[in-house]
Amino acid sequence: MAVAHVPSSGTWYGATLKEWIFTTDHKKIGMLYFITSLIFFIVAGLFGLIIRFEQSAPGIQLPGLFGQEGTDLYNYVLTGHGAVMLLWWAVNVWMGGFANFLVPLMIGARDVAFPRLNAFSYWSFFGASLLVLLTLIPGNWIKMLWTGYAPYSMNDNAGPTSLYVLIVLLYSISSTGGSVNMITTIVSMRAKGITWTKLNLFVHAIMAASLIQLFGVPSLMGSVILLFTDKYLGTNFYNPMLGGDPLLYQHLLWFYSHPVVYVMILPAFGVFSEVISTMARKPIFGYISMALAIYAIAFVGFETWVHHMFVSGVPDWLRVLFSYTTLFVGVPTGIKIFNWVATLHKASIRYNTPMLFTFGGILMFLIGGLTGIPNAMVSIDLGISDSLFIVGHFHYVLGMALTFGAFSGIYYWYPKVTGRMYSEGLGKLSFWLMLIGANIMFFFQMYIGMAEGMPRRYPDYPPIPEWIQLMQIQTVGALIMTVAILLSLINWIKSLKGPKAEENPWKSPSLEWSMTTTPVGPNNFKKFPVEVPEDWHPYAYFKGYHAHV
Amino acid sequence: MRNLFILLSLVGMAMAKGDIFAYPRAYWENSVSVWFWVSVAIYIIVAVPSIYFMIKYRYKPGENEEGAHIEGNTAIEIVWTVIPTIIVLFLGTYSFANFVKQRNAPEGALELKVTAFMWGWEIEYPNGKKVYSFFNQVSDPEKNVYLMPDKIDDSVKAYIPMGKPIKVYCTSRDVIHSFFVHEARVTEDCVPGRITKLWFQFNKPGEYWVFCREYCGTWHSRMASVLKVVPEEEFNKWLGGQQAQQPAPAEQPAQPVQQ
Repeated sequence: MAVAHVPSSGTWYGATLKEWIFTTDHKKIGMLYFITSLIFFIVAGLFGLIIRFEQSAPGIQLPGLFGQEGTDLYNYVLTGHGAVMLLWWAVNVWMGGFANFLVPLMIGARDVAFPRLNAFSYWSFFGASLLVLLTLIPGNWIKMLWTGYAPYSMNDNAGPTSLYVLIVLLYSISSTGGSVNMITTIVSMRAKGITWTKLNLFVHAIMAASLIQLFGVPSLMGSVILLFTDKYLGTNFYNPMLGGDPLLYQHLLWFYSHPVVYVMILPAFGVFSEVISTMARKPIFGYISMALAIYAIAFVGFETWVHHMFVSGVPDWLRVLFSYTTLFVGVPTGIKIFNWVATLHKASIRYNTPMLFTFGGILMFLIGGLTGIPNAMVSIDLGISDSLFIVGHFHYVLGMALTFGAFSGIYYWYPKVTGRMYSEGLGKLSFWLMLIGANIMFFFQMYIGMAEGMPRRYPDYPPIPEWIQLMQIQTVGALIMTVAILLSLINWIKSLKGPKAEENPWKSPSLEWSMTTTPVGPNNFKKFPVEVPEDWHPYAYFKGYHAHV
Repeated sequence: MRNLFILLSLVGMAMAKGDIFAYPRAYWENSVSVWFWVSVAIYIIVAVPSIYFMIKYRYKPGENEEGAHIEGNTAIEIVWTVIPTIIVLFLGTYSFANFVKQRNAPEGALELKVTAFMWGWEIEYPNGKKVYSFFNQVSDPEKNVYLMPDKIDDSVKAYIPMGKPIKVYCTSRDVIHSFFVHEARVTEDCVPGRITKLWFQFNKPGEYWVFCREYCGTWHSRMASVLKVVPEEEFNKWLGGQQAQQPAPAEQPAQPVQQ
């Protein structure tokens, strides 16, 4: 393996710039992914604030620039916010950042199965990132939204189709490489004694998410390649004037792009399980059903894509069929929520920042899940499809549950990665502000969509007094959220010089805590190969457990 | 205070009964209220024990250093798999029943042909009369802001007879749009190369928005039209007034669009 020359003592991050660029080490690649994701999270967050600014009043606030209307700028910003938040933050903070850093540590491996493929995946992703930055040039504004629906995406009004296709293709290449790596690593590189029933739930989540990526991404690639050949090479897959069908694009797109929401949320569920078990000092309730629920969600997730197309003109019977399949996702998701709650029964709960973010994430996911039901019930969807209700709903899931999960994970593993302790006070303040701000923002977003029926993707709207008020309330929420996120960013940067962390501050038997130094050494484990006793389990929290700490 | 009012009105909306103002909104509201109360119940069932456990089982030094050794309980896990399955089947079937009514127009509906384009609507009546609304006709050209329906010119508005079902056949000339009858809470995409359908009915006179609900570029947010719902006699007068300049109906019979 490619780790032969790495010294056995020191820290994982101690290396020259050249070594960082040419690295094949999973921890360094994970960190490169993570930093890229975080930078793009901030950029997309600022785009979100521009959207709030535009929608705070009727009329068009944004200036017309470079011969384009203010609404064009809005459409570009909306496209950027969606695409970057979903693909750069929601997918790759997990599949690139967390998974790369943690999975080998959790299964007792020295690196991932294909370290050079891993580096290739990151640099493809980096290439896609550079192309995204190129869209900041006004002539390159992509305005077809992250979904790029044909035939609009072939229209000149939508911006450069080729750039969009290239970005999606590079992202797809990177995702395929990453998922192949994770699946192979988890299947074949677990240390002796770590069976499928002794894997961290986070690892199960990454496994399921990687399977989704592997089976789904080809459909996404296909959809954009056909888009490219339609626009530039004269084929007619999507052009109705010449026998094509625009709905083909939507089927191909959503066949991947619905399951991908589980790529985003399952790892957050994984983090919730890690944190809740550790901080409640109790084994996770119903480990087997928790693991099976992950795979059930991934499987059912592939049978639900048509709910994105309930008003697209597909036959009625198809809508009813997919209404039922979509609702069934609620069953395994419900199991997970009930099991988390049951884990708290007779526990000993430590309230620190990661635990607060996990609690917040679970309770907000509950709202996100329940407000997902109307999108599945085809009868309700006819009235709320493409309204701001949908936007509020998926921000509860992705903007809150997922982001709370990511923040929880960042705080939880911060001592292991940096060797320093974060500031607890600042972290808690950040949590409470984020909970309040996000709820104000997204609750009223759902409300205006459901009760007032306001369509989404509208920079401008009729000056109905209720709409203006509801929009301004959301902006207040967004500003509170901005402060909260800034506090966490400050915390993470400032704490790099914080107090030294203990070796295993959470007293966890999970391998990444119990068998590595703090911060992690270049060779991962204190002893290699890793050996675990027969009664070892990552969630063995109870009196007299074998504390390998 | 206002927030409280909004919350209460959400509850009120779900409970609203009495005169039916619009179809298929009435069926839609049935489904919404069932969903709303089921969700509130589930939220309480989950959140109340969570918060109770969070408080009761917080770490108290010397008292509960570690949690109890409980790894699961098969019986209870089966219970909370089976019950959600039943709830899901109920919600799906309830929605299915309403969906059938939402999708199928009653007999004798007035049929309109709608053609969407970037950015505006063409609405054609059975006698061939056409009403156009362009994105720049619903806004004030000087201030560049939306107008409310009372300020919009009547020639832009599509007249609709009150209390009569309207069936819309929709298609598009360029990209995908969506014909969203705002107060009737019904929308259907207008897809180039396809003809899609929806129906609605207003039982109260007034002026109601139609919005485009599928993203279509620069003026997506101004791609609106206004339906002016009037008593049937007034509607017939309006429709006939134009008819005088058109060929007589016998020479050019109205062709309902069929797929």
